[in-house]
Amino acid sequence: MLAWTGASTRALARRSGAACAALALLAAGGCAVAGADGDSVARKDELVIGMSPDKPGLGMRTGSTYSGFDVDVAREIAKRLGVPAGKVAFRPVTSATREKMLRAHDVDMVIASYSVTPERKTQVTFAGPYYVAHQDILVRRSDTSIKNVRDLKGKRLCDVPGSVSFPRVTRERGVAAVSVKADTYGECLTKLQSGALDAVSTDDLILAGMAAQSAKDGGAPLRIVNAPISDEPYGVGLARDDVDGCEAVNKAITTMYQDGTAAKLLKQWFGPVGLQVTTTVPQFEGCD
Amino acid sequence: MTAVPQAVQQAAAAPPARREPRGPVRRRGPARLVPRTAAARVRALAALVVVALAVTLAVTWNAVADARHGMRVIGHDAGPQVVATSDLYFQLTDMDAQLANALLIGGSQGLGATRAQALARYEQNHAKAATALLQAAKLADEPSENATAQEVVIALGDYERLAGQALLLDQQFGHTAGPPSQRVLDLYRQASDIMKLDVLPKAYNLTLDNGTLVRHTYEDERAAVRNGVIAVVAAGAVLVVLLLALQVFLTRRFRRVLNPPLALATLVAVALTAFGAVTLSAQSAHLKRAKEDGFDSILSLSRARAIGNSANADQTRYLLDPGRADTYEQVFLSKSQSVLYLKAGNLAAYNDAVQRQRGRTGFLGFLGTEAAQRGIAGQDAALAKVIAAYRTFQADDHRIRGLVEAGRRDEAIRARLGRTAGSSAADFAAYDGSLVKLVQIHRDVFDDAVRDGDGGTRHWEWGLPVAGLLVAALVLLGVRPRLAEYR
Repeated sequence: MLAWTGASTRALARRSGAACAALALLAAGGCAVAGADGDSVARKDELVIGMSPDKPGLGMRTGSTYSGFDVDVAREIAKRLGVPAGKVAFRPVTSATREKMLRAHDVDMVIASYSVTPERKTQVTFAGPYYVAHQDILVRRSDTSIKNVRDLKGKRLCDVPGSVSFPRVTRERGVAAVSVKADTYGECLTKLQSGALDAVSTDDLILAGMAAQSAKDGGAPLRIVNAPISDEPYGVGLARDDVDGCEAVNKAITTMYQDGTAAKLLKQWFGPVGLQVTTTVPQFEGCD
Repeated sequence: MTAVPQAVQQAAAAPPARREPRGPVRRRGPARLVPRTAAARVRALAALVVVALAVTLAVTWNAVADARHGMRVIGHDAGPQVVATSDLYFQLTDMDAQLANALLIGGSQGLGATRAQALARYEQNHAKAATALLQAAKLADEPSENATAQEVVIALGDYERLAGQALLLDQQFGHTAGPPSQRVLDLYRQASDIMKLDVLPKAYNLTLDNGTLVRHTYEDERAAVRNGVIAVVAAGAVLVVLLLALQVFLTRRFRRVLNPPLALATLVAVALTAFGAVTLSAQSAHLKRAKEDGFDSILSLSRARAIGNSANADQTRYLLDPGRADTYEQVFLSKSQSVLYLKAGNLAAYNDAVQRQRGRTGFLGFLGTEAAQRGIAGQDAALAKVIAAYRTFQADDHRIRGLVEAGRRDEAIRARLGRTAGSSAADFAAYDGSLVKLVQIHRDVFDDAVRDGDGGTRHWEWGLPVAGLLVAALVLLGVRPRLAEYR
């Protein structure tokens, strides 16, 4: 009959289901399974994924199609969650809208060079990180004078208002670089090529994407210094408390590294520009 | 009052429908199911009572089984095993920390720690890590987790090979306290990178996966127990109503004041239901306490301890490897911030913020999560001690970095490794000790909740059937003499 011990969880779920059925017959009582959030990305048949539209090499929209490392990672995760490619839609997000769109369920997850921070963790649940990027420096290949962040002293460094990258070098690291303002990192790239500035500093994956873009466009050859000055764990943003979804995404990321997919994608997108990528699975944040 | 028995009598007196199946008196709908003779009705009601009793016993049995299963997994089985593996990360980081210590100390004596001591601790950690890793691998219940466990073993082998080479080479070209030769440093960097990028993330993810198993059991069983309470109350209520209906029918039909055995059966049924519901609610609370105030906090603080220890090792590495000092300083900051988060762009600003931090709110990180938890005896005072000790450790760090920047590296190394109070090693040990005490408070909560949970369902496996048999016997005792009147 009913065992006191040794029952598997699945058998127990069946048994409590049977108890619910008996209860429904007796008292028409509700038998909602607590903790089973119907909205979890672990159980969705289709996914809307928030994506950067303007980061070459990571998430770049051309017409209605997206391409980049983040896009491929998003497709792999969706596939491993059992959602076919045809059921995955991308929607552009910015750093100002990410949390809001997750909360409003406008997007099911955000994969958009989204760094996990303790403050953000109070608003959204993060699976992953799927990669730990580092703030690094991009220079013209002909420039050999910059080997680490301290060498930026007196150099003209791109300063994008609203971005933390410039103050991280000047204020936090105390390196007296000269500010050259630009509205976007695209403009930084143009100015670096034209010689209007000496260096661009931001996440290495973004720099690698820019360098690859530049090589494709036939611009001056660029070089990533490979002198990391911060850890930027790129997480998969999920609606707050979607613990089941977080665990499912973590499992997808784990298998993506185990079967070599992650290494292949990293080499494909960032290998050609000489960025030293890490091809082992990052340390996860944990889901609760 | 008299309307019902009359109607019943009339119904009983009416010619059985069976004789004229197509007649106009044929009853329609559910009324067809009501037996026509009084004896048949007593039998039917009694049968319904027995069915309701069986359902009540079954749902109670089920819910108690759920509660026991949940308690067994969390309190005796996977729970303690996961807690045992949570130290894996600590032991691994400490292996690398001791390797860095050994290389930094070199042949120097009288620093408070010697190379031999560091290496002995390295070996101890290695043995413990191997045990925890085996345990974690046993808990792995999915192919991807098994693969992770296997990868940790392989990567740890690579680490040890490089660590061995670095130590051997370092010994051949002995040096006093301070950075070793470049060739040794290169080997150490390779080893440390494997630990940082390969071994530690996977070991950490593995213990996270193990925790998932406990979370699933907890959520399933706690939901099952709470649904069980509703089911027990509902089934028990139906049982009591049926017993009362039988009582009313018998007393009216046979013009008695009370059927004592049935009344007693009703009382037993009420008691059974109430006791079942109360016990199960208590079990649900014990499960919650064991999981949320015990297990979760133990794991979370174990992680804080491991990451803090790793940050402490980054302080050593900062002294050991000047070429990578910037990187080690940056990871020291980010690890410190995951332990106790205060917004700060650089280490100096962070130290400033930590020194100014008072009270138990206004910060995040592992200790922030702990601070948000309230109502556990002794936790308040223990947490205050942890934070005070952490503040001292961070102040030491600030001093050490100041000495290095002022070109006084030897003093910095003494401030790092010395045994006396005021040295960073001693202050870190004090911080770590205070954290272990805080963990112990949660371990006690966990043990208490598990003990209460185990005690709460003791004797149910025979108590429940006995209560069931008692109710059934009383019903039989109440009904049989009445039915005998019809023979």
